[in-house]
Amino acid sequence: MAIRVQPKLIDELVLYGAEDVQNCYHCGNCSAVCPHTDAVFNFPRKPMRHLQMGLEERLQSSLEPWLCYYCGQCSTQCPRGAEPGETMMSLRRWLTARYDFTGIASLFYRSWKAEVLAIGIVALLTAIGFFTFGFLQGDIHTYDGPDAFLPSSSVHIFDWAMAWVLFALLMMNVIRMWWFTTASRENLRVPVWSYLKHLYLLPLHFFTQKRYGLCEHKGPWRLHLVLVLSYVTMLVLIMFFLHQMQSGPSIVWPAHGFGYLASIGLLITVIYALRGRFKKTQVHMKHSHESDWIFIVMLLLVTVTGIVQHVLHRTGADLPANVAYVAHMMFVVPMLVLEVPFSKWSHLAYRPMAMYLGEVHRDALRHAETVSKEKTMQPVS
Amino acid sequence: MNVGVFIGQVLSRDTFNSKALADYAANLPSVALVRQIGYRPRLDPALLAQELRSHALDRIVLAGDSPGFFKPAFTRALALAGKDPEEVRLASLREHGVESVDEGLRAKAIVACAVKGVPFPLVAASKSSLVNPATLVIGGGVAGIQASLEIADAGKKVYLVERSATIGGHMAMFDKTFPTLDCAACILTPKMVSVGSHEMIELWTYSEVKEVRGTPGAYRVKVLRRARSVDVDACVACNNCSAVCPVSVWSEFDSALSYRKAMYIPFPQAVPNAYVVDRENCIYVQSEGKRCGACLKKCPKDCIDFNQQDTVEEIEVGNIILATGYELFDARRVERYGYGKLPNVLTSLEFERMTNASGPTGGKIVLKTKKLNKRTKVEEWVADPQGPAPKSVAIIHCVGSRDSNYNPYCSRVCCMYSLKFAHLVREKLPEAMCYEFYIDMRAFGKGYEEFMERIKAEGTNVVRGRTAQVSESNGQMLIKGEDILRDRIIEIPVDLVILAVGVIPSRGMADLAKMLQLPRDSDGWFSELNYNGEPTHTERGSIFVAGMCQGPKDIPDTVAQASAVAAGVLRSISSGHGMEDLSKLPLSEIEARAADWEAGLPELMRYADGNSSSTQAD
Repeated sequence: MAIRVQPKLIDELVLYGAEDVQNCYHCGNCSAVCPHTDAVFNFPRKPMRHLQMGLEERLQSSLEPWLCYYCGQCSTQCPRGAEPGETMMSLRRWLTARYDFTGIASLFYRSWKAEVLAIGIVALLTAIGFFTFGFLQGDIHTYDGPDAFLPSSSVHIFDWAMAWVLFALLMMNVIRMWWFTTASRENLRVPVWSYLKHLYLLPLHFFTQKRYGLCEHKGPWRLHLVLVLSYVTMLVLIMFFLHQMQSGPSIVWPAHGFGYLASIGLLITVIYALRGRFKKTQVHMKHSHESDWIFIVMLLLVTVTGIVQHVLHRTGADLPANVAYVAHMMFVVPMLVLEVPFSKWSHLAYRPMAMYLGEVHRDALRHAETVSKEKTMQPVS
Repeated sequence: MNVGVFIGQVLSRDTFNSKALADYAANLPSVALVRQIGYRPRLDPALLAQELRSHALDRIVLAGDSPGFFKPAFTRALALAGKDPEEVRLASLREHGVESVDEGLRAKAIVACAVKGVPFPLVAASKSSLVNPATLVIGGGVAGIQASLEIADAGKKVYLVERSATIGGHMAMFDKTFPTLDCAACILTPKMVSVGSHEMIELWTYSEVKEVRGTPGAYRVKVLRRARSVDVDACVACNNCSAVCPVSVWSEFDSALSYRKAMYIPFPQAVPNAYVVDRENCIYVQSEGKRCGACLKKCPKDCIDFNQQDTVEEIEVGNIILATGYELFDARRVERYGYGKLPNVLTSLEFERMTNASGPTGGKIVLKTKKLNKRTKVEEWVADPQGPAPKSVAIIHCVGSRDSNYNPYCSRVCCMYSLKFAHLVREKLPEAMCYEFYIDMRAFGKGYEEFMERIKAEGTNVVRGRTAQVSESNGQMLIKGEDILRDRIIEIPVDLVILAVGVIPSRGMADLAKMLQLPRDSDGWFSELNYNGEPTHTERGSIFVAGMCQGPKDIPDTVAQASAVAAGVLRSISSGHGMEDLSKLPLSEIEARAADWEAGLPELMRYADGNSSSTQAD
């Protein structure tokens, strides 16, 4: 089968943050120092080569970019300054855009202005929606109780609806990812039992990011773990315990204890990440795409408005607390609606999926090997 | 004639003021259009042709670093506009040394010449002072030896100044030369002996150039002649003194694989064949004559003189040849290869000594073993001739070369000497496995490609992929890298690792460059005047470069360049004139000369230095 070459691919990847890919002269240093590389998934040199040659389909069907956690060893030791780590990062952005069937991800990655504009519009719509809803059925001077401006029961309807829409969008993209990387590959025959056998990897990697820990520097993995667990804690609290958090001003410790821990976790990791990217303290923070900045700034705003809203509510200032609530939602909603399916945050689905599919691929290859062995061992009749 | 000046980006520097250059060009007579086209312009000949027509341009000047890159578009545009397509003139800024001199003025001078359509080097250089027929050669490696012999054989006086106690340089340390596998010493030592006995060569070893004054053709040079403490002419190298010397230190010549005494001769074939005292380690010198002195009693010729003092001699020469060579990149800097920590990771020069029949192991390839130094009571790793032979050897290319973290340039000799090593390993240890880890194999010379094929056929495993790491495991060393052609990550246990370390400018080159006001390139090598046209000349008149000090090169190229330098020196001597520094002329002078040249008066002779203050000697 002919392989289609796309000579402009590198130019396209530049929009996604790739730099100096052409510098690579293929000494293989990066692949050899990478703790994630093995016989089946060999990177970053090979994807760099595919990129230089413009093998679009091969890259689209590759899982390798998702197996890299960007510890930066490859970039530090690269003799050509070809930034293999950043290339893998930009490939992840490009793949995100590829998996997304709406084309919105591609638009956001190519133009930060479009992303900021979209965030602004969604924030505005959120504000209008919540204020209209609040004024129609409640009192802005009341935070909790029957007259509450935004009662938790009503908010729940909204957040569960949003959760299902996001889940559906992400699932579509994940299915596309599966199609590109696994199902559409003619030379890859996956036995069905293999899909079932490795299912446990999805929650395992979602919650632990275990492979991140293989990197030479463990610090970034620990920080990332704190960030993820903080966020997941917050998500659980909001989706299931919102009514407990809305009562006040007394503090419900079983719920709030977790909330405080998660807030501290979020604040520390976000500030650390911001500082790191400003001062370029580590290799993986040296290059920041616009989408990285937007993500971190949004996360910071979400965290800060959440804390302000909480403080106002606990001190009994109901009117400011209600306004802060809406402000908080103005950052939370675009963050979830836009970042999760269409931008940086989508990796929450693609990463575990890649680990899962990676094992599935390994099985398929092993299977193919044994089949061919059996064939060759059959006596000639 | 209407001229259009197009200024491209000057890539190498941020400081360059291209606006000032554009203003200057706009004020030149006959310049009708100045445009800055910037970095990587997209040039459409059809659009350019329109522009040429609208400004009625007859000639185009392209200014910038390597502006010839854009020439085809302008040639085509001139043709499309119905003009003479030959009328494209290049103002090559970097190529004419803008980097190394007052860049604004030099750039303007180059553009002024290009606008007039005259070649800048011809306008800017002139013949000048009368030349002193004596020549100074700095550095006594193969380049210095070759140049000295060529000039001396032509009957001209040569002062050869060498820093160490013997001439011969690095080549004297080598075992074989690639690709012919000739014995290096067999080629070099006869030349060394010729130098030592030549009546036209004044050989000053153990000496350093300290000061250079004067003008091209008449330089006055101060040379520091360090006290050798041995009368070179009287010493017969009988070895009586060294035999009784109680001090032993690592031998520089054997790359610290063996010991030498404080009273020593670098190697048996040294020229001059005389002993030398390492005053820093000599007990007698350090104790100011209170202790030791064993050698004094043993010397049958009474040629040891510890009271000898450093002296400074002043000489007058017309031409100076720089042949200061190179030294090895410090492999300790690449920590992941473990050099300095793992005893059996060797540099190329160490292996070269080990495999040399006159070396510390008598040419046996062995693993270093731990041995108790009886004097210091410390265990040391030494290359013992009785040591075990390695069963597998890995040779890692490009250590410190082609690496933006260390040196970006290709050291040019490592690929070939590594292949030579592989051959020597397979020849001496036919049972041993030998691996070569390379990035790109640079077999560029006559017979080199064939040599590589031969080595492959001999059974060396040539693996494409730079090694990422050398670590210790179970008393062996584990090589980790990617085998790119077989598409797999490999881990190979080996006994001996040889690092093909790159070359760097030798120490002291910076001082020498300062002393001589010579530009060096970004890697520290001396800059030649023109890479293609005048590869042996420098910015300073009558100062030449030969061998590695101008940039990495192998022995054949070094020898060829040394002979070429001799031709340049002899030309200057027989014409009777030194060559003017290129940088000395003021801009107005160059403008005037360019105008004269254009008017058909290329008699640059009449500009021969009017206020000649130079001294004539001999």
